[in-house]
Amino acid sequence: MTWLRRRIRPEQIREFSLLLLIVVAVLIFGSAIDNYYTSRTFNRIASSVMIITVVAVGQTLVVLTRNIDLSVGSIVGCTAYVAGVRIAADNGLPAIVPVLIAVALGAAMGAINGVLVAWGRVPSIIVTLGTLAIFRGLLVDYSGARTVTTDSLPPWLVDLPRLDLFTLAGLHVKVMVALALAIVIAFQLATSYLTFARQFYALGSNPDAADLIGLPTRRIVLTAFVLSGALSGLAGFMTLARFGNITVEAGRGLELEVVAAAVVGGVNIFGGSGTVIGAMLGGVMIGTLEQSLLRLQINEFWRDAVMGLLILLAVASDAVILKRLRALWARADLEMIARSAPRTGEAP
Amino acid sequence: MEGAAVDRRSDAPAVNAPMLNLRDITKRFGATQALEGVSLTLRAGRVHALLGENGAGKSTLIKIMTGVHQPDHGEMLLAGRPLRLASAAEAQRHGIAAIYQEPLLFPDLNVAENIFISHQDRGAVTNWRQMFRRAEEILASLGVALDVRSPARGLTLAAQQSVEIAKAISLNVRVLIMDEPTASLSSHEVAQLFKLVRDLREKDVAILFVSHRMEEVFEIADDVTVFRDGRLISTRPRAEVTPQRAIADMVGREMGLLQPRSPAKLGEKLLSVRGLGRDGAFEDVSFDLRRGEVLGFAGLIGAGRTDVGLALFGIEPATSGQIVLDGRAVTIRSPRQAMALGIAYSSEDRRQLGLSLPMSIATNITLPVLSRYLNWLGLVRTGMERATAEAFRRRLAIRTPSVDIAVSKLSGGNQQKVMLSKWLNTHPALLILDEPTRGIDVGAKAEVHAIIGELAAEGIGIIMISSDLPEVLAMSDRVLVMREGRQMAVLDRDGADQESVMAAAMGQSTARQPSGAEA
Ligand SMILES: Nc1ncnc2c1ncn2[C@@H]1O[C@H](COP(=O)(O)OP(=O)(O)OP(=O)(O)O)[C@@H](O)[C@H]1O
Ligand SMILES: [Mg+2]
Repeated sequence: MTWLRRRIRPEQIREFSLLLLIVVAVLIFGSAIDNYYTSRTFNRIASSVMIITVVAVGQTLVVLTRNIDLSVGSIVGCTAYVAGVRIAADNGLPAIVPVLIAVALGAAMGAINGVLVAWGRVPSIIVTLGTLAIFRGLLVDYSGARTVTTDSLPPWLVDLPRLDLFTLAGLHVKVMVALALAIVIAFQLATSYLTFARQFYALGSNPDAADLIGLPTRRIVLTAFVLSGALSGLAGFMTLARFGNITVEAGRGLELEVVAAAVVGGVNIFGGSGTVIGAMLGGVMIGTLEQSLLRLQINEFWRDAVMGLLILLAVASDAVILKRLRALWARADLEMIARSAPRTGEAP
Repeated sequence: MEGAAVDRRSDAPAVNAPMLNLRDITKRFGATQALEGVSLTLRAGRVHALLGENGAGKSTLIKIMTGVHQPDHGEMLLAGRPLRLASAAEAQRHGIAAIYQEPLLFPDLNVAENIFISHQDRGAVTNWRQMFRRAEEILASLGVALDVRSPARGLTLAAQQSVEIAKAISLNVRVLIMDEPTASLSSHEVAQLFKLVRDLREKDVAILFVSHRMEEVFEIADDVTVFRDGRLISTRPRAEVTPQRAIADMVGREMGLLQPRSPAKLGEKLLSVRGLGRDGAFEDVSFDLRRGEVLGFAGLIGAGRTDVGLALFGIEPATSGQIVLDGRAVTIRSPRQAMALGIAYSSEDRRQLGLSLPMSIATNITLPVLSRYLNWLGLVRTGMERATAEAFRRRLAIRTPSVDIAVSKLSGGNQQKVMLSKWLNTHPALLILDEPTRGIDVGAKAEVHAIIGELAAEGIGIIMISSDLPEVLAMSDRVLVMREGRQMAVLDRDGADQESVMAAAMGQSTARQPSGAEA
């Protein structure tokens, strides 16, 4: 038991408990809704979650550094539209081109946020609240309120959301869902092992100390915003593929769902702690609730209220549970140290 | 120019080449002249001690050496080459590392990562297993038992300082600067640290060491430099200085060393604690305290002394045991409640629990008893507030242009004096002082001890937690010794000496054997 405690930290149990919560939610909905356990339900939830998740990964990076990116919804809208216009104009373009356009444009928009926050010393909530409106405004102006329509897009793009990567026990795992999962895994590994990414945690945990010991704080903040923008760009492309019809409204309000996913997933809004996997689980939790409450034909306003409640619960329980767990762990440590006492006693 | 010439006749041979030369360094903060024309030479393989009263400019000089501050005037040479530093990262690339006076840890990162966060040779990809192992090795060489996998959040100040030391000594440095690294360590950890410092000295590292504890300075230093009011007063090899001489240079007059307190008349029983414990922190602590008594708490790092203080003040309430205060059984769940019961607690961690840094000195001092400073309209009488602050400023020699200045602008020791003033001013029934003289210079320390004596004579019961054993022995009527969350012994004035306290703190069955075998 003590051995287990040495390996597993309270922070990791949090993700596990969220997973458990998701299972409980699915069981409850399964008993309340006929034909709930079908691959159709799975696909619905998965394809609504995948876009939130990709953006939430980027949001997590930003929040870790004690910042926030509220412009992601607008970046998704802009990149979806611009990539859509480009591919609609020339259906013969190779598939990689619209992806690259969306990602590059997203990264550029993220860079604007990053430079203003890191060098301009403007709080990120103000910067991104501004660019949220500005990016959306530019989109409205650029599009002239026209829309990208499904029939202007090449068939491969329209069929992409339905393309299976593989089928397992009747579950069709879509290419795009797999892509989202791959991104989660890649960023989870990067944030656990890459030295540069570990500095994101350090910066968010104690910005003054980060400055004083000479971490490249500006570069860290810029990188976080650029990655958030780039991932939002990718999500823009996924939005284009999923819906086909892109209006100037695309991605509006997404930022709230994304921030909610991160917070429910245990990412500390004050920076320094949280994981990419946690943010994904938060996204899954929100997506499951959203789709299931929809199936239950619950009034939209109630649905929002339930979401809000969930967020409050997540944050509150987080604080309480973690504190309890830490006390438990501390006791185990004390026992361990007490047992090794003779050794430390004769150290000199 | 002067400084370089003064230490010409060092007793070591010529192998001690100058490593870092400072020439004519000047630094101003607004109205405060922090440094004026300071010249100093650190040599390879020598430990250079820097002494000076609080606010003399020691930390400022250090921050200039590490690129945190830029000097207004003057130059630096590293191994003979001109050195310009724009940031701490640049200093580290040149092999200059520092342990700052205030620990700078990342609460969300685990202990091991805190040690290695700024290592250049950490590589692009982290090998966690190896990092944990190396962190454990380094901490073991310091004689400190910490779980390297747990986050740094909530570590006691002493543990934080150990992590800082581990961070600095694990770097491959040419110049190592330590700003009061021992301020909250007990003699056991200090001995371990000094062993490591001597190893580094063997490896030709140039070391600068700041401390207000004379006995430490004279144990480890090869050269001693004294600052006063931002000026360099003297630099001499240790053999040519005595503690009395150094103190006279520091304060500009002759001054006595630590005096034992003459015990006050003890009154009736004030506090009785039985089987007190908190899960994961400490257990089964029992003691009595009478009015006018000073009960010292001694022990090593992580012994749980601070946790007892936090429990009595309701910051981290106890989970078991009884507290009887003034004959009444009480459960203390919050600081607010503790203060209503007449308990005051001066924290060891002035930055996190003690002071509001952006607020002025005067408002910080009067904050806990602000109601005494209100006029009939409920407004603060700032004149009265300032008078109180001025009184403490004179008595404790708080070095500041005015009591309206933000506390964040003060030197570490002067911040400590402000926090102490704040709690001394409350006149509680029970006063808990956690490392009251941490980072305070010798002159002011004697003043603090005098005030503590006066408060005890007024009938206040005082619990004094301190890592400075000579201080505990001089001030206490009885000494309670803790080790790893357990109470080991309560020694009375005659039974408590350096050996008996250390033996109990190290867990050797004690006191009864007159002079126990040194470990
Ligand atoms: N950031 C700052 N802004 C304004 N004044 C400052 C600042 N830092 C230091 N000072 C002032 O410079 C003087 C020297 O401070 P410094 O911290 O170097 O003292 P010190 O010798 O380290 O003292 P201590 O023993 O208390 O740590 C003090 O009067 C202090 O108030
Ligand atoms: Mg200082």
